Amino acid sequence: MDQHRRTDSRSWDWDNQHCRAQMDQIFFREQDYIRAGSSEHREFWSFFDRFQRFRMKKEMCGSRREDCRDAGTKSKLDLGLPAEYDARYRINVSVCSRDMEERLGRADHRHRQRSSEPGPEEVADCRLALLHFLDFSQKQSFGKLSKLRREQKCLPIFQYKDRIVELVRRHPVVVVAGDTGCGKSTQVPQYLLSAGFNHIACTQPRRIACISLAKRVSFESLNQYGSKVGYQIRFETSRTAITKLIFLTEGLLLRQIQLEKTLEQYQVLIVDEVHERHLHCDFLLGVLRSLLADRPDLRLILMSATINIKLFSNYFGSAPVLQVPGRLFPIQVIYQPIPSEEQPSRSEKLDPRPYLRILQGIDQRYPPEERGDLLLFLSGMAEISTIQEACQVYATHTRRWIILPLHSTLSIAQQDKVFDISPVGVRKCIISTNIAETSVTIDGVRFVVDSGKVKEMSFDPKAKMQRLQEFWISRASSEQRKGRAGRTGPGVCYRLYAESDYDAFASYPVPEIHRVALDSLILQMKSMNLGDPLSFVFIDPPPAASIQTAVTYLRQQGALDARGELTSIGRLLAQLPVDVVIGKMLVLGSLFNLLEPVLTVAAALSVQSPFLRSSQQNPDCATARQPLQSSHGDPFTLLNTFNAWVEVKKERGSGSRKWCRRRGLEEQRLYEMVNLRRQFKELLKSHSLVESEDSGAPSAGDRGQRRERLTERRRLHQMKRQHELQEGSKRKVLRMEENQDGASSSGSDTEGTRRKRKDKDQSRQSMDIQEVKFKLRHNVSELQEAVGQELTSRQQALLKLLLCRGLYPQLALPDTHNSTRKDSEQVFHTKNKQGVVIHPTSVFASDPEVLQVFEDDGGEMGPEKKLSSKHQLLSFVTLLETNRPYLSNCVRVPALQALLLVCDSLDTNADCTRLVVDGWLELQLKEQNEALKTLSTALGLRAEWERLLLAQLRQSEVEEPGQGQGVSRRALEKLSEELVRFLLYTEISYSLQRLAAMQTLNLYVGPQPDLELPALDLSVLFPGAEVKADPVKGGLRVTSFFTYNCLTDSKDLYSECLRTFFSCPHCDLYMPLTPLERMHHEASCRPASELQPTEEDAERGKTKSSAASSLTRVYHCDVCNEDLTLTSTEILKHKRQHMAV
Amino acid sequence: MDQTTNDPPDQMFTCQLCGLSSPFTYYGQKPPKTRAIVLLEDCYVTKDPFSPDKEKFLVLGSTCSLCSTCVCVSPECSLYYTKRFCMQCVNKHLEQFPLQIQTELAKKKQSTKTAVS
Ligand SMILES: [Zn+2]
Ligand SMILES: [Zn+2]
Repeated sequence: MDQHRRTDSRSWDWDNQHCRAQMDQIFFREQDYIRAGSSEHREFWSFFDRFQRFRMKKEMCGSRREDCRDAGTKSKLDLGLPAEYDARYRINVSVCSRDMEERLGRADHRHRQRSSEPGPEEVADCRLALLHFLDFSQKQSFGKLSKLRREQKCLPIFQYKDRIVELVRRHPVVVVAGDTGCGKSTQVPQYLLSAGFNHIACTQPRRIACISLAKRVSFESLNQYGSKVGYQIRFETSRTAITKLIFLTEGLLLRQIQLEKTLEQYQVLIVDEVHERHLHCDFLLGVLRSLLADRPDLRLILMSATINIKLFSNYFGSAPVLQVPGRLFPIQVIYQPIPSEEQPSRSEKLDPRPYLRILQGIDQRYPPEERGDLLLFLSGMAEISTIQEACQVYATHTRRWIILPLHSTLSIAQQDKVFDISPVGVRKCIISTNIAETSVTIDGVRFVVDSGKVKEMSFDPKAKMQRLQEFWISRASSEQRKGRAGRTGPGVCYRLYAESDYDAFASYPVPEIHRVALDSLILQMKSMNLGDPLSFVFIDPPPAASIQTAVTYLRQQGALDARGELTSIGRLLAQLPVDVVIGKMLVLGSLFNLLEPVLTVAAALSVQSPFLRSSQQNPDCATARQPLQSSHGDPFTLLNTFNAWVEVKKERGSGSRKWCRRRGLEEQRLYEMVNLRRQFKELLKSHSLVESEDSGAPSAGDRGQRRERLTERRRLHQMKRQHELQEGSKRKVLRMEENQDGASSSGSDTEGTRRKRKDKDQSRQSMDIQEVKFKLRHNVSELQEAVGQELTSRQQALLKLLLCRGLYPQLALPDTHNSTRKDSEQVFHTKNKQGVVIHPTSVFASDPEVLQVFEDDGGEMGPEKKLSSKHQLLSFVTLLETNRPYLSNCVRVPALQALLLVCDSLDTNADCTRLVVDGWLELQLKEQNEALKTLSTALGLRAEWERLLLAQLRQSEVEEPGQGQGVSRRALEKLSEELVRFLLYTEISYSLQRLAAMQTLNLYVGPQPDLELPALDLSVLFPGAEVKADPVKGGLRVTSFFTYNCLTDSKDLYSECLRTFFSCPHCDLYMPLTPLERMHHEASCRPASELQPTEEDAERGKTKSSAASSLTRVYHCDVCNEDLTLTSTEILKHKRQHMAV
Repeated sequence: MDQTTNDPPDQMFTCQLCGLSSPFTYYGQKPPKTRAIVLLEDCYVTKDPFSPDKEKFLVLGSTCSLCSTCVCVSPECSLYYTKRFCMQCVNKHLEQFPLQIQTELAKKKQSTKTAVS
């Protein structure tokens, strides 16, 4: 093996590509352990270079071969070790390949005719390097393993391993309490697995935790691709038949219980983070508590921080508690209450001085070489940006800080920055909401600043409004925040309040179930047959009033019937993992031919807005976004955005990332939308609300294409795996200018280029795993085809109506004086809350002119009552009060038409020129005849819509699809045609105003006990309805929502003066009729063309559904003395026949 | 999570010196899918959990050729020099090992000592 022999004869060159390729053919063939072209292969050759250099150096130094072992002098036993040392003997691997050796033999024989052919020495060299390389990789991997095991042993929970297993074996319920960092979430499931428990589910409040825990645990159990450990979240699962441990969200486990009441599939349930007291978690605990009675074999483990442990233990009959001490270093607490002159008054911005003083103090007291970052807790985003701005100035000046905001509306990339490392001598200052209290754990924090404030969402049932209010935190939260300073070493916690304040804090935060609207919860409880929600044993029962509010709301939404039982639509809504209003939209959309846009809108409204707030002020973004904006409303802007994005994805693949950045869009949200809309579609399919596409027909393609697709998928899977392995392994080092990314203020040229370069780095590094996942899940061409068609104005009108009906009763009325106000001061009213404004992100905030009412000629009906046929209302998704009550995600709809088609209560006077809708909106119509015609059209449309919707829902309830009656396509087309005509072409002048408080007091005539019912059979007009005197309002209750002639200015029902001559355009009727009689006639008299018996009518005749035969009824003619089945027009004609005689 | 597929529990390898314990999937000299590679001793082998490639293996440990103690491959627990020796046996027969190894071990002892103190 000496140098001479190797170099003398031939021109073998290890650096030559060709030479290396020759070696590859010997050692790294397709069937070998390491394949040419793989990453190991690349690693080998770089190892080879190092190895050769190392050997060369050693040889130069001259090998010291003398071995001064005094062999066998002391020891009785001869180990039989070789006399001469060789590092090769330390390797327990060998590469033996006979074919390779044979080849060598041959080559030797031929005296190496071709000089480039490797000789035995070269092969031996390469082989030796390979052995060392294999040994090296073994050592590397084993080192990782042993480090992992060491870390596991060091976790505080490790010494309780046997105790935990023992407790779980002996008790049905066990509470494990330990603070963050004790290792309970990752270790307890593993302890149980290794103790032989098998079907384990572990719930998490957050989706992201499910994924990361599953990854961590499968990694720790060295089972990363064995899929015995998996996760399941809304769109993704890694679950397989051999999964033994699954991490899933609380909501998902609840859905599984909905499907399988006793959860036979699990042997052990772990409910983690129970102390966070999320709505779902509290409910889940209640459900599990009753489930334990049916499943004595089931084991339940509650895991909690060391907060309020007794509560959980007691709820489960004094379940045993195992308390694990956390691993916290000592933390010094410094109370620094904010002096009164720096206290912000209610409207003012936060004063940054107390915060800056702390930064300064740290700079003075601690040398910069001593590492340790700062975590600052504030209540909300506005507060964060105020303090961030001030701290940024200080940081730029001192160059000792990098300021990073952290809250949930930041882009994922920006959120991720808090995990990156700051350069030496520079500290991170992370300014966060309470998201960093439990959800996000950042290592290396030494200083915590606690403002003591938190903003929490609460529901105001009176104003029907969400409210985001600032509160003092609880002592538990305060301790949690403090604890963040002592995770990696001793720390300091500055509390910006007095110790006496601390003592006055509540012990625990208010659980979510006491704060939020319970609609979805109650709906789910109903669908799980859990009985009366008021008597359900919650761990901490919500106030009865809030259950009642939810029940009332669900009744209004048509999800519950009068007795509080689920309706067919309610049953369906309970299975959709979205808000009731969004669920309604989906169901409505499935009826009409508007499924695709409705899916998109429903998905868009269920995720966070993709429009980044920080880009709002950026003029470039604003310009780029312009073409996406729709003046019809925000859901339409979202729809446009999504469709445009799909188009870009189809054309440019991962180029969509840049497209999004240009427009200030968070692409992650669009990915979420595309997943969610698919899930919606599948749900609707599974309920037969959407026809499943013909299987196989369009997709197949020829074999070549299919193979190509398969190869592509394999490649994508490989990329995904690669990514998963790399993930989190490297943390980037932050740059000083990093922090300025988020700040909108500065923007010099140099910074611009720097930013560009950085973005480029980022995109290259992360190879766009989202794009990979997207391609694995979706067929972009199919998707583009489905969503690509632009909506016609008719479809747009119909879509608006669907959204409005879904969102009902969330409607807002523009204030009468808006035309005299500035754009930014436009005011709106909802039924329960006056004086709300439009959120600045909404299209109507930047473009309020589209809501302007143009007065019709013909004067006013008095002050403040503008006559117009173009009044509009806003249908909105959320009403949220922060510093002001804001409406967001609004759609504008034509007021009269929308109200008549969706409202819950419609009251009229005798000639139907005055309408009161839902007890708060008053409409005065100018023309009596027009008014009647409009009202009667609306009533007809509603009845038909309802009929078709019910038929559709009934179909979804039939077990086998295709068995149900189905909804005739023709009837649907006709209905949508007529709805559109009604929406777009109703030209009637009216005024629209909210009723003053005084007016609502004297609105109705009140009960009229001696009222005689009219002779007309009104059930013809409104099938299934029994017309009777309304016992409260007075007048006649015609349908569930329509009460005729109950308003105080109403005239006597039979007063002859109300009769006006009416000539029917369809038949030759010409008679004086009361409004009611006229509506009645109009509803039943159709143009001759429509009266032709259609197929559908024939079918209807067969099935004899009460709704289907709405047009005819049995009429007993006294003259003929016969029962006749006639439409009401025919009856009138028949009567006239007799009169003529 | 089919209740019926209760596959046999993982076989565990445990180092008798340091206690490191981990499931293993193969014991012997020729782990599956290793092609031309052969182990020179009977080893406890598992899939390499740190490699994205499913077919990479990882040797956890083997038995001491002298005392048959089950040891992991960590340098604290064992040493391979033509055969596997547990650290106890290495120390017992230290003088028979080549000088390189002796000095290496001495150096290591030194450094752990200083680290402890
Ligand atoms: Zn060991
Ligand atoms: Zn031994």
